[in-house]
Amino acid sequence: MEAVMQEPKSVGKTSSRKIKKVAVLGSGVMGSRIACHFANIGVQVLLLDIVPFDLTDEQKKDKKQRNRIVNDSLKHALKTNPAPLYDKTTVDRITTGNFDDDLAGIADCDWIIEVVIERLDIKKQVFEKVEKYRKEGTLITSNTSGIPIHQLTEGRSEDFVAHFAGTHFFNPPRYLKLLEIIPGPKTNPEVLDFLMGYGDRFLGKTMVLCKDTPAFIANRIGVFSIMAIFHLMQDMGLSVKEVDALTGPISGRPKSATFRTADVVGIDTLAKVANGVFDNCPKDEARGLFKLPEFVNKLIENGWLGTKSGQGFYKKSKNAEGKKEILALNLKTMEYEKPEKPRFASIGAAKPVEDLKERLKVLHSGKDKGAEFLNRLMYSVFSYSSNRLPEVSDEVYKIDDALKAGFGWELGPFETWDVLGVEKCLKAMKDSKLEPANWVDEMLAAGCKTFYKIENGQRKVYDPQTKKYVSIPGTEGMIILDNLRGNKAVWSNSGSTLHDIGDGVLCLEFQTKMNAIGSEVLEGMNKSVEIAEAEGWKGLVIGNDAPQFSAGANLMMIFMLAVEQEFDELDMAVRMFQQSTSRLRFSSIPVVSAPHGLTLGGGCETCLHSDKVVAAAETYMGLVESGVGLIPAGGGTKEMALRISDGFRKGDVELNAVSDTIVNIAMAKVGTSAHEAMDLGYLRQNLDRIVVNGSRVIQAAKQEVLDLHEAGYTAPMERKDIKVQGRTALGSIEAAVYAMKFGGYISEHDAKIAGKIAHVFCGGDLSSPTKVSETYLLDLEREAFLSLLTEPKTLERIQGLLQTGKPVRN
Amino acid sequence: MQEAYIVAGYRSAVGKAKRGGFRFTRPDDLAVDVIDHLVKSVPQVKPEMVDDLIVGNAVPEAEQGMQIGRMISVRALAKETAGMTINRYCASGMETLAVGTAKIRSGMAQCIIAGGTESMSLVPTVGWKTVLNYEVAKNHPEYYLGMGLTAEAVANEFKVSREDQDAWSFQSHQRALNAIDKGYFKEGICPITVNEVYVDGNGKRATREFVVDTDEGPRRGTSMEALAKLRPVFAQGGSVTAGNSSQTSDGAAFCMLMSEEMVLALGIEPIGRVVTAASVGVEPRIMGIGPVAAIPKALGQAGMKLSDIDLVELNEAFASQTVAVVREAGLDPEKTNINGGAIALGHPLGCTGTKLVVQILHDLKRTGGKYGMVTACVGGGQGIAGIIERF
Repeated sequence: MEAVMQEPKSVGKTSSRKIKKVAVLGSGVMGSRIACHFANIGVQVLLLDIVPFDLTDEQKKDKKQRNRIVNDSLKHALKTNPAPLYDKTTVDRITTGNFDDDLAGIADCDWIIEVVIERLDIKKQVFEKVEKYRKEGTLITSNTSGIPIHQLTEGRSEDFVAHFAGTHFFNPPRYLKLLEIIPGPKTNPEVLDFLMGYGDRFLGKTMVLCKDTPAFIANRIGVFSIMAIFHLMQDMGLSVKEVDALTGPISGRPKSATFRTADVVGIDTLAKVANGVFDNCPKDEARGLFKLPEFVNKLIENGWLGTKSGQGFYKKSKNAEGKKEILALNLKTMEYEKPEKPRFASIGAAKPVEDLKERLKVLHSGKDKGAEFLNRLMYSVFSYSSNRLPEVSDEVYKIDDALKAGFGWELGPFETWDVLGVEKCLKAMKDSKLEPANWVDEMLAAGCKTFYKIENGQRKVYDPQTKKYVSIPGTEGMIILDNLRGNKAVWSNSGSTLHDIGDGVLCLEFQTKMNAIGSEVLEGMNKSVEIAEAEGWKGLVIGNDAPQFSAGANLMMIFMLAVEQEFDELDMAVRMFQQSTSRLRFSSIPVVSAPHGLTLGGGCETCLHSDKVVAAAETYMGLVESGVGLIPAGGGTKEMALRISDGFRKGDVELNAVSDTIVNIAMAKVGTSAHEAMDLGYLRQNLDRIVVNGSRVIQAAKQEVLDLHEAGYTAPMERKDIKVQGRTALGSIEAAVYAMKFGGYISEHDAKIAGKIAHVFCGGDLSSPTKVSETYLLDLEREAFLSLLTEPKTLERIQGLLQTGKPVRN
Repeated sequence: MQEAYIVAGYRSAVGKAKRGGFRFTRPDDLAVDVIDHLVKSVPQVKPEMVDDLIVGNAVPEAEQGMQIGRMISVRALAKETAGMTINRYCASGMETLAVGTAKIRSGMAQCIIAGGTESMSLVPTVGWKTVLNYEVAKNHPEYYLGMGLTAEAVANEFKVSREDQDAWSFQSHQRALNAIDKGYFKEGICPITVNEVYVDGNGKRATREFVVDTDEGPRRGTSMEALAKLRPVFAQGGSVTAGNSSQTSDGAAFCMLMSEEMVLALGIEPIGRVVTAASVGVEPRIMGIGPVAAIPKALGQAGMKLSDIDLVELNEAFASQTVAVVREAGLDPEKTNINGGAIALGHPLGCTGTKLVVQILHDLKRTGGKYGMVTACVGGGQGIAGIIERF
């Protein structure tokens, strides 16, 4: 029997506790955005802040003036990008008020979240007031990132203390997946159970249950890593820009790498965490690294705190020609300079390697200064992390989860260590006078060569206490395709894999760069349906765990054929695309797509042709072909015409819905959330579903397949009743496109593309509104697509995107 | 041929569309109230003595549909009084007076009420269902060009700078505010009582009543700096802004026209007459320049010179076209829009022509002038100019 770890009993489940209304106390950067995220998931929010100190006697009587701070904060939050709300209209769920007049309102709330300034005395004052109005049994949590939880509840009632915990959100709370839960000494286990389950399913977070130690888990190790970098770079004489090149996506860290992240977070905030650890962790073996280097003190002195003060490690400026440029700080001279492009042979060697794990190995074996820096950094993070057990966590996976979800690392420290070889790295660490924890030696001695292993499609983690591999609680309800790699795939080719995800359901995983759809993926779609139909599978899920569901069609092949003017081949390619999406639609088994992240162009068309879509809330969906000078021709334009036609009611002015949709496609509009995709019509109200936690979409999609199967699934037939407008709408649309061009809003080529989209959407220049078939519209799609490929400006756009990754406006 | 006279004329105040006092008042209701006031002001005339009601309206559909002219005549006048609707877009209100005058002069009627009504709150400028001709859209899309873009085209082709447009707009507001403060419009405005049924703060049905008797458009706080800050709304890098365009508005205005014979029979003192009116087509792309062609045509018809005209009401569709017309037609800015124009006071499309005639009659009286001109550019590329004589 394997050991079961000490965790709240029902992690991943929800209790009878229901959250209808929350109170958020404090409307600063975090408070206002936490309020928005609760509004996102449909909860009523009471957002309170202080009455401004500087009011005149007259203003003191004015409620508007009294609520000025909270209303200004919320207004400011709503303007930020990326948006804190899924859908602007949900702001109605937030009621604002002030502590003096409206605190009584917390009596109706099911959860009170304190997000006031990080000062123990002030927080305690707030809690004292809260105690007056709070109903017994109501959850009360603090978003502190630095104050020990046990100090916050001193002097509070028994009921208060039993329902109190730390809930540490990361900024921006809608987007950063991590939510750390920190129990106090007397927190009721039911409360922790509830928070862990609710955070996962309702708020969509990766939940990490922490101990009440300084900076908790993510900041403790994340900030250690940054501090280690600060010291190491000085030691090795590396520049800001060089470090960012090494600690960005190339090594599985976020695009903002080290210094851009520091600028965004705020250098003062970073310093506060570092100082907190330095002051409160006298026994930390690497305490010295938390001492701020001189240049950080200097930045703070100068008020160069990062994005919020306009400059930090980087500064945006304009050069002599008035062009925007980004300058980087020279840490020796403390002057901003135009950075030179860093060149490292190790990066050069690693860049072409698509798979991160393979890439890390390439970097690891590099011989230049860049590789040396990364290795020294990795070793010190590995060592530091190993020594944090059991101080900050008893479990290895929590540290990995926290860093991935809170700092945007693609792999956590122990996962990275696994990739580079535990034993080999351990030896190298010891050789360089690091002292990693003994339990790692014990692990190796026990014959366990890695921190993680996959067993029967389940990921297990090494537990230093029992010296065995144990399963990871809370992930039972998730289907993680990575864990199925050990199993034999049902079918696969170079760009896609067909998995058996249990209960008779298949899952097609795209596996190309950005999950672009090329011939291998199309083959995968056709093959999946063929296998499912022939072998009696219940249905198919299309989903993956990559950062993006699919960025669209693979343009490289289309571009090459267009340049060589191979129009027969191009025609074949487009037909193949259309046939593949049609195959999904007309298959005799239910097909459910599970998008998340970018779901563009062909990725969107895949979803449009599924029986049902289960989308992560963070899905960015759109038909963006116009950006590369084309129109959606994998059935996307056809499908949107069909949906609009289905929405017509007798007597409607049909032009409006038609032109709105044409505008969305012509402007390549992308929904900034699944909710917006619904407004744009890419997801269907009352049919497609939205799941907050992106890690749960494949499981939810599988359930939909089973439900569709159980209910008796019959394949749809080709539709021949799509009402298109012909000239009745085309005249108005042509005139509107002309006006856009006349007004200088779109280029000649934009106008041409918009005209093509309108032409397909209206079924061509038919004399009157007419009902047409899917095939009729697909033919028009193809014709328009191919005609645009003869346009030099379209080829310029495609080439530009392929070369620079940025859209070309011409 | 007998002469046709204006015996009385009234207008409603001009409300701000969507935000003002008439935002939910139907255009037919507004017209009924103004006509009621007008008829009562001429006690010798019984409603059934009016032969015809001619209503100008620029978007005759939805609340303005169902042949609104007749719907108003049967309610405001009598079953026996006929009613029709005329649409020449922004010239409609001038055109109804021209048609009414022509009918009476030719002996086809003795007494006609003519004017216009428009609710831009309730009916969008292009209507609810726009179905443009595909062939035209393909071959001559500029025929369908939106008004804002025609204003940009005029600004470009006649070199009217952003500063000139903003300066004219600022002056329009100052003049309008001065006129309101001095009560110049009072006599011509028929106060309208509005009854509103709404849901109050407690979610319950409630009613309230208020009177609208003052033009709502002019902004006291405006300044050249405030106008300069506004972004162009119709074209990238353009110069036409919300601040130097006419405002969308709600309003109604009507005049009673009467034959010489009937005036004499009833012993009524006319207040003026429409001497003549001329419409003319111009290039649709630069429709704003329409008055430049219409003004000489009207003067020619009347055998008059521009110098005979004491005051001009040039509808300020956009400052760009207003400035261009003033320059190109050689108008005297000191005699033109002396109480501001549509940029400050609003432009309730189909009502505007009649509203300006009512206004200019009062202004001519106040300033001792005799001849006035009401002129406007018209969507689709036209201009209109009417010459009014004050007695």
